[in-house]
Amino acid sequence: MSRKLAALALVLAILVCSMGLKTAISHGNAGSPVMIANGPAPAPIAPPPQGKK
Amino acid sequence: MPGPLVLAIWYVGIVLEIAFVVCSIARKSFFRYIFLNAYFLLGLGSDAGRYFFLSKFGQGSDEYRYAYFYTDALLTLALYLALISLYSCVFGELRFNRYVRFGAVILLLGTALFSYAVVVQSEQRLATAFAYELSQNLYFVGLVLTYILWGAMLKLRETRTRVVQFVLSLGLYFSAYAACYALGNLSNYPVVQYLSGGIGCLLPLAWTVTMWRHAEESRLEPARLLAVAR
Repeated sequence: MSRKLAALALVLAILVCSMGLKTAISHGNAGSPVMIANGPAPAPIAPPPQGKK
Repeated sequence: MPGPLVLAIWYVGIVLEIAFVVCSIARKSFFRYIFLNAYFLLGLGSDAGRYFFLSKFGQGSDEYRYAYFYTDALLTLALYLALISLYSCVFGELRFNRYVRFGAVILLLGTALFSYAVVVQSEQRLATAFAYELSQNLYFVGLVLTYILWGAMLKLRETRTRVVQFVLSLGLYFSAYAACYALGNLSNYPVVQYLSGGIGCLLPLAWTVTMWRHAEESRLEPARLLAVAR
């Protein structure tokens, strides 16, 4: 049980670190238009709208 | 259609993805690294789909945009599974596989929940915004996970050359994309578009070279990579 709790705590720490890193890199610019994607395929001209019709 | 340089980078990437799968079959390691191969096979499938939508509707079309983001979300999930399979390789001997699987599922669910919380305010096309956000968030989770795995490998003195090279290449790939993301946020450099495509070729290239040059029995001392000459 304690090992599972330790794994859970580690998972939460990783999640917090990752999202913190993302926010830091995007300079706190939520919903940033810049994106990263898999592979060398050409990116579409603009990302999908977020929170807009 | 995009410019010739962008298309050339894309074609090189496709060739490298095929090369990795062919190399792993030739070296009889296809099933040993099944998740890595599955990632590239899925990549080839999504490249075919993206090419179809790109040539039929164009780069600025909604059709290409949605095809791109949905396939990207699938690819990111596949890359996450590939990373977890590398975790299983490293921690398998310690019988930690059960905890690795448990942690991986919880982390994926946590990332999905976080992404949902971010996009829930979208009034339309929630699924697309969710796929986009999940894909971006999983990248950063992958970046952190890769560095943790590298630290664990140093601590556990992992010596399998292939595993060491796979993890290092993955770390480089994630870091390069994060740098691209930061650069794109600083300013709208057009060079980011080419850089991003070039980085996409980096992972299949590094993994293909590893698969081709090193046998499964090949060993390497990772601590030596960090040793500083005195």
